[in-house]
Amino acid sequence: MRRVTPAEIAVVDLAVCDRCGLCLPLCPPESIHLELNVLTVDGTTCTGCEKCVGPCPVGALAMVANA
Amino acid sequence: MPDLDVLVVGGGPAGAVAAWQAKEAAPELEVALLERDRAVGSPVRCAEGVGDAGLREFATPEGADWAARKITRVIFLAPDDTEVKVAERDVGWVLDRTRFDAHLAAQAATAKAEVLVGTEATGMTRAADGRWHVRVKHRGAEEIYRARVVIGADGVEAMVGRWAGLDTRVPARDMESCAQYVLQGINCDPDAIYLQFGDRIAPGGYAWIFPRGIGVANVGLGLVALKTDGRNARAYLDDWVARRYPTAARTGFTVGGVIVHTTIKRTYADGVMIAGDAAHMINPLSGGGIVNAMKAGRLAGCTAAAAIREGDTSEKRLASYHKAWMDLLGDDHLKHYRIKQALEDLDDSFFNGLARTVNGIPPEKRSLGRIFAHALVKHPQLIPVAARFFL
Repeated sequence: MRRVTPAEIAVVDLAVCDRCGLCLPLCPPESIHLELNVLTVDGTTCTGCEKCVGPCPVGALAMVANA
Repeated sequence: MPDLDVLVVGGGPAGAVAAWQAKEAAPELEVALLERDRAVGSPVRCAEGVGDAGLREFATPEGADWAARKITRVIFLAPDDTEVKVAERDVGWVLDRTRFDAHLAAQAATAKAEVLVGTEATGMTRAADGRWHVRVKHRGAEEIYRARVVIGADGVEAMVGRWAGLDTRVPARDMESCAQYVLQGINCDPDAIYLQFGDRIAPGGYAWIFPRGIGVANVGLGLVALKTDGRNARAYLDDWVARRYPTAARTGFTVGGVIVHTTIKRTYADGVMIAGDAAHMINPLSGGGIVNAMKAGRLAGCTAAAAIREGDTSEKRLASYHKAWMDLLGDDHLKHYRIKQALEDLDDSFFNGLARTVNGIPPEKRSLGRIFAHALVKHPQLIPVAARFFL
């Protein structure tokens, strides 16, 4: 479990995501999952590090305020 | 089905060859190959280029429906578009991966391995009986498959490794973000692959043209996001294509990640081996992974067969797979990685100058050794690169 609640977390836009899986090994807490052709980011473990956002070839990941 | 000797997760080149070789080495074993998608070989996330010699260890390209184009030349394009032709011999092939992957899976099926499409592994746990219990989803139903050995050939996602407690993560600087179009009606040498470097074209990587036929090619690029101006790979590719082929028809688009690192520290655990992209078995200089994956698949399949016959699938026994891979190619990749790091310090003006130096050597005398020797004399910036090669 993360120790500090991040101000922002990553979210995926499934209308843009191509399901290539590139972001999975980039995620330090392994919060991104791809199952049955749907990519999900676990907002409860995402640390807000943003490492997944820039490398997405189609720009499907973005940071949003952590509600 | 649920009781297996070898369960291979992922029906790409690593997995198909692993299943094929395991069954061929030990026909008495129950071997299954799982493919998540509804067809092996689809979607294609690959530039589809492969070297001739490595390919021939596994398949014969002449006359094969999966060989799209024979390649006899490599043309490097400097950042300023200066062309440098380097080789003129049996360089390689551009594959039709949809057909090629199906061909390899058919080899596994002919050897009597079970090939299951539309079948996805979603988790696994080590049970008290010493087997892996793998959760498998197929047509909406979930089943548990028990296996003595699981081979993880599940590509860049590398979930099998994660489930087995191995570290398959990669730093962002070693991830190439790739995008590619299939372009129709373009004017390029159909017997050559083109590679272009440049900080404004594909920072940290390169752009490519791999012909699939006359006037048809895979046109794509890979870049390192940390080195870009903030735009993603697709945006860089759109710029490059708009400049080179503004009128071409785009009949295909794909994206994907290529890990340009070195083999993961441990590719094995009790009853588990990881092969291909999942274990980062990619040449970090070229980004090529197809032949590496097949070679690793063969090692993993044969190791699984031998270990099961000996009745010992422990981590200690399967360590021989890791050692065999490192001896075969893994140690070379460490060297390639050091060269990649050294090349990162060189800029566009260096590559433009190097292109002119090489073009000053007559084509018939353009051996790699001679290019290297000339380049070292005229471009002292290369000395640290050479030094890293011999470290």
